[in-house]
Amino acid sequence: MKRLTVCRARHVMASLAVAALVFAASGSDARMLDPDNPDDAILAAQKMNCSLKEGEHIVYWWQGSAYSRVPGERDRHLFNVEGMNIRQCKNFEDAERGHGFRSVSREILLYLDPETDEILRTWTNPWTNEEVEVMHVANDPVNMRRPMYARSADGKPYKFDAVIVGNRVLEGGEAPLFYKNPLAGDYQDYVGNMYHAMEALNSYTYADDVFDSEKDKLDSYVLSWARFSEWLPWMKMGGRTGMMIFSTVGGRVDGYEGLPERIKDEIQANYPIYDEPPPLDDDRPNVTSWSYFKEMIDARAAEGGMN
Amino acid sequence: MNSLHKFLAVAGCALLPMVVSAETLDPDDPNDVIKMQIKQNCTLEEGKDTIYWWSGKMYSRRPGERDRHLFNVQCMNVRACDILEDPKKGMGYRSVSREVMFYLDPETNEVVDTWVNPWTGEEVKVIQVANDPVNMQLGDGRFPAYAYNDDGTPRARFSAFEMGGMYLNGGSAARLFYDNPLAGDYQAYVGGTYHAMEFGTGATPIDDLLDGNADHVKDRVISWARVSKFLPWMKMGDRDGVVIFHTAGLRLAGFEDLPDVVKDEIRENYPQYETAPPLDDMRPNETSWTVTKRAIDTWREEGTE
Repeated sequence: MKRLTVCRARHVMASLAVAALVFAASGSDARMLDPDNPDDAILAAQKMNCSLKEGEHIVYWWQGSAYSRVPGERDRHLFNVEGMNIRQCKNFEDAERGHGFRSVSREILLYLDPETDEILRTWTNPWTNEEVEVMHVANDPVNMRRPMYARSADGKPYKFDAVIVGNRVLEGGEAPLFYKNPLAGDYQDYVGNMYHAMEALNSYTYADDVFDSEKDKLDSYVLSWARFSEWLPWMKMGGRTGMMIFSTVGGRVDGYEGLPERIKDEIQANYPIYDEPPPLDDDRPNVTSWSYFKEMIDARAAEGGMN
Repeated sequence: MNSLHKFLAVAGCALLPMVVSAETLDPDDPNDVIKMQIKQNCTLEEGKDTIYWWSGKMYSRRPGERDRHLFNVQCMNVRACDILEDPKKGMGYRSVSREVMFYLDPETNEVVDTWVNPWTGEEVKVIQVANDPVNMQLGDGRFPAYAYNDDGTPRARFSAFEMGGMYLNGGSAARLFYDNPLAGDYQAYVGGTYHAMEFGTGATPIDDLLDGNADHVKDRVISWARVSKFLPWMKMGDRDGVVIFHTAGLRLAGFEDLPDVVKDEIRENYPQYETAPPLDDMRPNETSWTVTKRAIDTWREEGTE
């Protein structure tokens, strides 16, 4: 899952008056961040992503289901899924562009048996009847390529694109992805096989949480994440028609220890570095399930292990 | 429903000796689960309207091309609940509602009447979603929803998980695959079946949902997404591809809190959608496909197709 920064018409249906009253009554030096002021908006965006406190770990967890969609047949419930992302942010200050931040993270998504909820190791593809090895998502890193500032390089002010209704703040967006598939060949514009997916994320918090200048991080954050993609490479569906649909719900947990036991056990056993985010200055290119899979099968092919 | 039912619904277990328990609802008590469902879907104040609003985007997905952002969408549902009490089955309810989804130009955010299909070049008439009614349908035994089965075994179950002081639900989907009202009588042979998936998630503060003294939840946020075949009015015929809807929204305090574009469109063109249908509404549900079929049939009669 990625933090999405998709432009969206801002739709403020109610003023922040309710939340403002809370602060007036508190008598502290706290003030309300102004979403229309880019220097404040960037802080709100950072709080939606991670913590204002540099290096503080923020952990997300979500669960749901994965389905197939093939023309002409009822969608199948193939897997349950459970995922986590652990991240931190580095802060930047720029004379021209103002405050900025960049997140670095690691991310897991486990495929579970849809009936028993057990973590799958192998799976029998119902269309080919072949038993395949399940490759869970373990992406290290999933980083912002570069910092995001109050003002872009060409001076455009950052806009906090959210729906604000009373004290409720909703942020939604989609990232339609269409690019060269690392697992396909050198002539994709001619013969197809591009990587084709859409990630969709909704985030929900409160105005008196995200706009409170005294709070480094949110008290309340709920998410829904959905994904619409081609078959996962390890399913060995080849060029067969169809797609995958993921539907999940979750939120932030209280640090790594706040994760459910089962995913912590799996991380300790098989992905031990995922109990921490990458270092703040991590400049490695991002890993996706597709590039991770390629690395894996290439390594095995080199060892003569995979047919 | 008569006034005794209403009294029971609001007073809940206050009629029982242990009055203290009326303060907090118990997710393990099937009667309280029904109350929690009513608080979430509508309100324990029988017949009073509840408004949900959600908005987002609609995309096309076609093999071999980047997904296109075709429309913004603005949606609302206005719902009321008939609250029931059965000597065997305990507390129950049935909801009745009306629902709209308007297609907006992705640039101007205005409701669109016509649209030029970018794949065929044809200008087509847009049929907005306006489904009246969307009710809990009687007949197959699922509704009304009750706390207990006829044999006294618990039936209402609370399906949500706890996270950060909230109850979260969702992460599954309704997989729809049935005979398409716009297709012919041999769909199992030649295809054309209605094929869609809808999924929603929701979150409500635990305190809000379990408050036995409140007749509805004040704070509920939702997400709704859908993957389906191309909409019939797009006139895509058999062409490959699907459309993807992705939205976020919440419960509003009332109709007036809706965005102007939704209120204006409803008042101008769908005035009955300001309120829920009557509680005893027994009409079959509308879907976009049945609405579209009627529209096309009307155009054909008028010669305006």
